[in-house]
Amino acid sequence: MAQIFHPSTNTISRVSIYGAVFIIALGGYVAYRVNQASYFTDINEARQQPVPFSHKHHAAELGIDCRYCHTSVETSSFAGIPPTHTCMSCHSQIWVKSEMLEPVRESYATDKSIEWVRVNAVPDFVYFDHSIHVNKGIGCTTCHGPIGEMPITWRAHTLYMRWCIDCHKHPERYVRRREDVFKASYAPPSDQLALGRKLVKEYHIKSPREITDCYTCHR
Amino acid sequence: MKSEIDHLESKIHWGMVVDLDRCTGCEACVVACRAENNVPTAGEDQAARGRAIHWLRVERYWEGEFPEARVRFRPVLCQQCEAAPCEPVCPTFASYHNPEGLNAQVYNRCIGTRYCANACPYTVRFFNFYNPVWDKPLHLQLNPDVSVREVGVMEKCTFCVQRIKAAEIQAKAEKRELKDGEFNPACVQTCPPKALIFGNLNDPESEVSKLARSNRATVLLGELNTRPNVTYLERGSWSGEEGGPASAG
Repeated sequence: MAQIFHPSTNTISRVSIYGAVFIIALGGYVAYRVNQASYFTDINEARQQPVPFSHKHHAAELGIDCRYCHTSVETSSFAGIPPTHTCMSCHSQIWVKSEMLEPVRESYATDKSIEWVRVNAVPDFVYFDHSIHVNKGIGCTTCHGPIGEMPITWRAHTLYMRWCIDCHKHPERYVRRREDVFKASYAPPSDQLALGRKLVKEYHIKSPREITDCYTCHR
Repeated sequence: MKSEIDHLESKIHWGMVVDLDRCTGCEACVVACRAENNVPTAGEDQAARGRAIHWLRVERYWEGEFPEARVRFRPVLCQQCEAAPCEPVCPTFASYHNPEGLNAQVYNRCIGTRYCANACPYTVRFFNFYNPVWDKPLHLQLNPDVSVREVGVMEKCTFCVQRIKAAEIQAKAEKRELKDGEFNPACVQTCPPKALIFGNLNDPESEVSKLARSNRATVLLGELNTRPNVTYLERGSWSGEEGGPASAG
């Protein structure tokens, strides 16, 4: 009767037993990288919009305040997508013949909203509130990334729960002065931690124990 | 330095008082709760199998024989116990106590073991045996501030945590403290005889904490020492027996 196992089985079993730790670690690493890949997280992937609106041009170069378009960001959970009327408050006067802006004029004429493609979104079971973050000194760019450098908007962070929790556990690393919240190009100062600790006290930001409570975001 | 804030030391500790001497059993609270919290309707067949979901129910107790009969009502909702039997049995910490004294249920964590429902002496926790369906156009009435629970998770009264959070966020954005009675859960808001009162038990001046100290105050199944945050007010004790203190009023 022939041998059931070929002699090479010895080598294979030794390698797989001694290498088990490395094989599992490699598998874990691959899974982690796949999980973090922009293919799944949509990070840094510019979304094509019906009108190639540039935050870089409007917010950084022209210096239009975030709140000129996103009007409800200080008072509501939702920052607000501007109506076409807001675009036309300038574009009825400038760039009136522009080919690029044809969908905007059409929207204004037909009273039909422009269908923007959503870039930053959290799942339906997450109840994110813009007003409280803005009022407690969390700047737009902390979550939305360097919006002043985006010709077409992309998502800058995963918006995964781990990413949210990171700031909810250590708000002092990210909090800034209220007057700096709407700066499209903001670099944290070198003494961010010292400033952050001071602001956490000054703005009465709740303790990590309280703001990592599940009911803070999930209802 | 103590970094963790115990909810007993927190400024806020939500609680409710149910005045049974005022309750008329109209069930307006039940309807309001269902509308506010996207509570699914089971339908006849599922309800017959014990799968109906009511975050809040009004129990009826009959006393005496017709024509001398009288009925007493007791709205029963999650008692938000301080020593909640549902919390330690949850293997995924989906049921836990939050810093403001709420007995929280996190739907995303729940894997549907149903241990909590078995542990709860008040039978106020409900399991989703199927994905809820709302026939058109009823789906348009869903409250966007509340998650729709899917099949396989437990749900229960949250003291309308979406309203609590909305009010807290607004107060903080306006840099002021919450006022007593500034907002209410849906059942409290709708109660016509004002039998339900909601507020902060840690504020000795709030209406709810004054009423909770009243000599009419009792708790449901007090002998179990679950320390509920819902207090019932009634004259005398509950008794179905004739001549008991309950019939004295």
